[in-house]
Amino acid sequence: MSEECDETEILALLDDEYARAILGETSAQPMSATELSDRCDASRSTIYRRIDRLTDCNLLEERMRYDPDGHHRSVYASRLEEVRVTFEEAEPVLAIERTETADEDVADRFTRMWEGL
Amino acid sequence: MIYGFTNLRLVILAASLVATLLGLVVGYQAYRGFRRHQSASMRQLSVGLLLLTAVSFTLAFVGTLLLRAEYLDPSLRDPLTLVVRLLQVAGLALITYSLYNRPD
Repeated sequence: MSEECDETEILALLDDEYARAILGETSAQPMSATELSDRCDASRSTIYRRIDRLTDCNLLEERMRYDPDGHHRSVYASRLEEVRVTFEEAEPVLAIERTETADEDVADRFTRMWEGL
Repeated sequence: MIYGFTNLRLVILAASLVATLLGLVVGYQAYRGFRRHQSASMRQLSVGLLLLTAVSFTLAFVGTLLLRAEYLDPSLRDPLTLVVRLLQVAGLALITYSLYNRPD
């Protein structure tokens, strides 16, 4: 699993109210930055900063939404399903369950399934 | 009868071949899972499946042909069966190990 950020960064993100709000809203359905800005009552730049951090930690996935008129725009979907925090030798250890990505294929599902047994 | 194979033998051979191909498909996906996720347990699973299906089947098949053609001494029949069984045991042992060898 590629992880661009460490446990501290993820814990800090979960402590951040805007990051939490983004994860909450996008866990129900994918949303654009504009929609998130409205729903979370935050400026677009605040939303984009949180989106970048969440994406770096692989907790958020960017997707393309195609409108009927042919335009497309970025929407974001939460990948976070569950976080378990345990402590080993006084350090927090995170076990993170992520949801399937849009481009996940059979080998990825197989790995997740087998490792989850 | 084709090349000394009865129809029943041919059906058995076809079934073994299908089992081997399916084992190869699952083993290949496990190998891709290992490559994409650097997952040690997927590597053990793929090698285990390969030993259990393709390797043991190929050895049994080639061995039977050689025995039939009398390239191999008939006394080698049991040792050959033993080696095939041991390969299957090794394959299943690897798969079992991969189940218990949890990623961090």
